[in-house]
Amino acid sequence: MTERTRIILMLAPAFLLLGGVFFSALGLTLLRSFRYMPVIGLTEPDLAAYATILASPGFLGSLGLSLWIAAVSTLTSAGLALAAALLLRQTFPGRRLIGFLFQLNLTVPHVVGAIGILYLFSQSGAFARLAYAGGLIGGPAEFPALVHDPFAVGIILQYVWKEVPFIGLILLANMQAIGEDHEATARSLGATRWQAFTHVLLPMLMPGLIAASALVFAFAFGAYEIPLLLGANAPEALPVLAYRSYTDVDLAARPEAMAMAMIIALIGGAMVLVYARFARPMGRGRHAG
Amino acid sequence: MRGNALRLFAGLALALWLVLPLVPLAIWSVAHGWRFPDLLPQQWSGNAWAYAFSPGSGVLESLGLTVFIATATTVLAALVGVPAGRALGLHEFRGKGIVTLILIAPAIVPGIAVALGLHGVFLRLGLTGTVGGVILAHLIPVIPYMTLIMASVFSSFDTDVEAQARSLGARPVQVFIHVTLPAILPGLMTGALFAFLVSWSQYLLTLSIGGGRVQTLPLTLFTFATSGRNDVTGAIAILYILPGVLILLFTARHLTGRNQSLAARVGA
Amino acid sequence: MTALDLADLTKSYPDGGAPTVRGLSLSVESGSLTALLGPSGSGKTTVLKLIAGLLTPDTGDIRLGGRSIRDLPPEGRRVVMVFQNPLLFPHMTVAENVGFGLRMRDVAPNEVAARSAAMLEKVRLVGLGNRRPVELSGGQQQRAALARALVLEPEVLLLDEPLSSLDASLRDEMRALILDLQRETRVTTLVVTHDQTEAVILADRIALMLDGRLVQHATPEVIYGRPVTLAVARFFGGVNFLPGRAAGGIFHTSIGPLVLPTGVTDGPGTLTIRPEAVRLGPGREARPARLVSCTFLGTQTRIELDLAGTRLQALTTPEALRGLAPGQEVGVTLPTAALWVLPEV
Repeated sequence: MTERTRIILMLAPAFLLLGGVFFSALGLTLLRSFRYMPVIGLTEPDLAAYATILASPGFLGSLGLSLWIAAVSTLTSAGLALAAALLLRQTFPGRRLIGFLFQLNLTVPHVVGAIGILYLFSQSGAFARLAYAGGLIGGPAEFPALVHDPFAVGIILQYVWKEVPFIGLILLANMQAIGEDHEATARSLGATRWQAFTHVLLPMLMPGLIAASALVFAFAFGAYEIPLLLGANAPEALPVLAYRSYTDVDLAARPEAMAMAMIIALIGGAMVLVYARFARPMGRGRHAG
Repeated sequence: MRGNALRLFAGLALALWLVLPLVPLAIWSVAHGWRFPDLLPQQWSGNAWAYAFSPGSGVLESLGLTVFIATATTVLAALVGVPAGRALGLHEFRGKGIVTLILIAPAIVPGIAVALGLHGVFLRLGLTGTVGGVILAHLIPVIPYMTLIMASVFSSFDTDVEAQARSLGARPVQVFIHVTLPAILPGLMTGALFAFLVSWSQYLLTLSIGGGRVQTLPLTLFTFATSGRNDVTGAIAILYILPGVLILLFTARHLTGRNQSLAARVGA
Repeated sequence: MTALDLADLTKSYPDGGAPTVRGLSLSVESGSLTALLGPSGSGKTTVLKLIAGLLTPDTGDIRLGGRSIRDLPPEGRRVVMVFQNPLLFPHMTVAENVGFGLRMRDVAPNEVAARSAAMLEKVRLVGLGNRRPVELSGGQQQRAALARALVLEPEVLLLDEPLSSLDASLRDEMRALILDLQRETRVTTLVVTHDQTEAVILADRIALMLDGRLVQHATPEVIYGRPVTLAVARFFGGVNFLPGRAAGGIFHTSIGPLVLPTGVTDGPGTLTIRPEAVRLGPGREARPARLVSCTFLGTQTRIELDLAGTRLQALTTPEALRGLAPGQEVGVTLPTAALWVLPEV
């Protein structure tokens, strides 16, 4: 057996399964989004579904909202994660506890985090009660709307809660792999602490940070259950709108739902490319360290 | 020192923020009514837990089903992920970049982008509304994680050990069982834990493929959360995060040191 | 003139173990090349980091040109440390790496470019300035790291095991380059190494560290021939040790009395002689010995001798051994000038 055959045989099961499930689903989504459904007599593919949604204010509002959620969540999480990783790299009392909480947070499903955020930040939630007790508000209605709100604050808070540990742990692992000698060299060559951070450590961390941020962006853009729990009724996040259109009694809405799914897939695909470009390459050629 | 005090303060704030959303869930699960503006419930009660554990609520059934689905998904993912990871971790070949891209894409592309089409595909195959269909759907995000973790494990595996075993008279199957498997086992466990948790957390794929007939724990949790039963929601939420916490506690030793975390191994 | 003065430096790490550096005092002459020699774990690298300002000493002082630099941050000292690995910054080109320190000091861009280019020429990396560090060989990376430090014209250059990450074939070249550049720039240089041969070839003076302490600071010849302790003698390849007692210029040992060079005080001690100083063949002072074994080493042969039950090692040439075989008797002379007595037993 040649090496090439062996490699193909090793990869085949994973490819067949993912092909059968993931890529066939994407293929069907694509066909349906072109309104190709022979069962109900649609045999001429067209772009009508795309034309409809791109002209619909509802869709554009949802797309804008989801982009807003993903962008703000990703930037905030990346910034805080960088700060947290720099903090956790130092020695101070309680560092191990926070390291443990980071990993614990990673195992908590998003739905649980979303419900927790709901109970914390809703107008009758824990913070509203604290505000009332402190005399800041006179009743639930006076507490600012942080969930089910137009700026999706609750949704963003949930993502930040979950993704700061995620990005933070990736950064910590990268920092461990990089070590401290590059920074020490920079200091010895005359860089201040800040210069050593901005000119040496940060650029060396950047690929990992961008790769992790791509994962977070894709997730925050495409998650369904979190905006369903924490989002406002209008505009809905794009995944919520897409799923509602798909399950609509009006079958004519289905190609539009499929077109929305394709647009989400495209943005997800773009994040795959960003991730692959910046993530550490795998295999033998990899830098030992 | 001022820097130390600052670090300690930042650390405390971070720790507090990390546990904060879980606090009201825990309190609700033992509260008997907890109306605005009470900072703590007036009365405590075990009713929510009693209800969650009663046969009529379906919570335990749901828990068992979720464990089954996550376990089955993990086993299947390991069966295809170990060889694929070996190919990626140990070999350089033409088109490896594309192959890697294809293998990681399903974990990054949001579930909603495939859930609708997958529903259509599974409808024809009669897999909608079945546990088997849900497991197949869960494999979409799980296989990439398993494959990537195994690729990273194999990239630091020295195949000379296998050659040495062969030369000492072991057959290929014996080599795998006695040499390869023990060497990759710690990494495989990490991959399995991660696979389990990814399947365990799925909501949308279960909802769309299961069509309400495959009622896993997150779906049950969601139902109670949107029906205003905050106490039962709290209890189920605690129940739902428990396996993850247990896994973490049991493996804390494995996850320290160089293998800093599950995410770190996958992420970068 | 003293350039660098270390006074009673102590450094412990927070893990609570024994101090890595214990009461170390060392004065380094301006413009000299000093080797800080010691086995791994003896605290040499820690000393470099203390001088560079990357670590703060628990006690003691560091003075440069008479002025204390103990409390200055690394960037405020005119001291540059080059690590064992080249540690080129991977996201910068080779030229950007070399210009790094100048840029940190806000030197004008065209001056940075000119000085970097001149430095690259000195380390024979002309034309490689636009490459990424990963595109360089190990030896080239090491030379770039050296250039990156020297371009700053530091008062003190600290080199941590500069040759250990290189293949044997590249070591001679790198060693010659370091010597050339040091002679040209006259920069006060401290080289950390665990290899005594390397220290002997490179350095004007050797500072020997054992267990965090400085045990001897002298020229290679002195340390080689007149080690201050048994440990120093052993570290420098000493193998012949004869316990005994000095009295009136004579050392009494198990192989009989030996005439000592002048200046040895009376009392118990250990006599040592380098194996290459042991002479074979008949002579007025020759003692009878039995040849136990011969090991051919190429240009030299190591032999083991038995003198009345005491084993000694000697290095000799294959020609001097012609006609001799293990088991045969041979005359052995231990020249007075080569004898050295350590005050320990």
